[in-house]
Amino acid sequence: MEPQVLYNINHQEAFGLFIAIYFYLTGLSAGSFILSTLAYGFGLNQYKPLGKIGVVVATLVLVIAPLFLLLHIGMPTRSWHLFFYLNMSSPITWGSFLLILYPVNCIIYGYYMFRENLRFARIFGLIGIPLAIAVHGYTGFILAFGKARALWNTALMPILFLVSAVVSGIALMILISIIRDLLFSRERKVNTALIFNLGKLLAWMIVFDLFLTGCELAVLSISHSDAQEVAHILLTGKFSLLFIGLENLLGKIIPFIILTTPRLRSSFTMALASLLVVIGIFFMRYVVVVGGEFLPLL
Amino acid sequence: MEDKKKRYGMLIDLRLCIGCHTCSVVCKSENNVPLGVWRSWVKVVEIGNYPHARQHFLPIVCNNCENPICVTVCPVWASFKRPDGIVYIDPHRCIGCRYCMAACPYGVRYVHPTKKIVEKCFFCHHRVDAGLKPACVLACPTGAICFGDLNDPESEISKALAKNPTQVIKPEFGTKPCVFYIGLDDSVVEAKKLSKR
Repeated sequence: MEPQVLYNINHQEAFGLFIAIYFYLTGLSAGSFILSTLAYGFGLNQYKPLGKIGVVVATLVLVIAPLFLLLHIGMPTRSWHLFFYLNMSSPITWGSFLLILYPVNCIIYGYYMFRENLRFARIFGLIGIPLAIAVHGYTGFILAFGKARALWNTALMPILFLVSAVVSGIALMILISIIRDLLFSRERKVNTALIFNLGKLLAWMIVFDLFLTGCELAVLSISHSDAQEVAHILLTGKFSLLFIGLENLLGKIIPFIILTTPRLRSSFTMALASLLVVIGIFFMRYVVVVGGEFLPLL
Repeated sequence: MEDKKKRYGMLIDLRLCIGCHTCSVVCKSENNVPLGVWRSWVKVVEIGNYPHARQHFLPIVCNNCENPICVTVCPVWASFKRPDGIVYIDPHRCIGCRYCMAACPYGVRYVHPTKKIVEKCFFCHHRVDAGLKPACVLACPTGAICFGDLNDPESEISKALAKNPTQVIKPEFGTKPCVFYIGLDDSVVEAKKLSKR
């Protein structure tokens, strides 16, 4: 017979919704920034319309993101401790510096871009790419260092986070460029060539994201007992609706079908698919953060 | 013996534990632990079918690990290991980021509801510093808990550890816990009740 727990305490939630939102926002920012540098850093001129909105979105979102950290921590007035008492083995310490350097670099990069100083924009764009990767990659390390939680403690976590960041960043850029073209451009006409091009990029990044999610699930479901239980919670348990339904079906598979079916290709369906992806990646963060710590440890 | 480095540890003899929860109650009173959170608690698990059923009790405190993951991940050194091995949290340093709670494999940490900083069992460091034993050790009616210096071969705990086969909770995480158990059942550690959220 299964052992029955007669008495145990309920453990507090360590990370919750606020941390999930924070991860989501840094992901959006890093993804948008990388798209912005395609034209101004790497000289791919077909992506030039994304340069300016990309850097504006990346900066704005990254200014909002740390506010959720302040809401999360118990003692926000002590946040200066992060810069004075450094424990270099903690990913949060790495993050506190990245969260300063990255937005500052975004602002400098944006400044030179708007001044049409392409040489300096290129230099700061290229400096920004490792920063953007680090500012989101470190959040993957935060979870990966939580070695007690089976869903988090995997070397796949930083790369999974980066790929979903790029996915959500491309989707957000598609949405914003459509809105901008419809509302603010002179001809009120969507730049379909750019949108379809981004759609193709988005579709293949979704495939990569699905592949990584599948890898993680496959390993979880045959790993140690906690890992199997986490896989069970994701596939059939409390988080199955969020994980399978919202994150993977609505957020990845349906947008992939819309994006890759030529008959469905229009600026409206592109916007719809991107909206689904942007929502789906939010649930990906939520499932990883809250679902990962759902299983009690003792 | 005075100059030798101390390493405090605890040994809990589960054969003597009667599941009376006295250790949890005295801990609350000694350390002013607020409602809804616990520094130590007794997990009760029933194994088997009537008439061959048995209740297992597992008193849980912070393991004050030799290799604590909470100290590795704390961004501001609020969690640190004292020279005598007690893993302490500086209440003036902690920013309440809860990363230690996310990383600890034993779930022994909690956020104080009003102070908003993280707390846990410190082996009653204030009593240990004064030469006393932790409150739970003195309160246990069956004397199931033994506390002392693991580095002193003449201490009660070192002798008991040498004499008995002992276990620790979740050795696979490599944290090297300093709370040892006699008669620990795997299924008691493994048994989980999904907490109500």
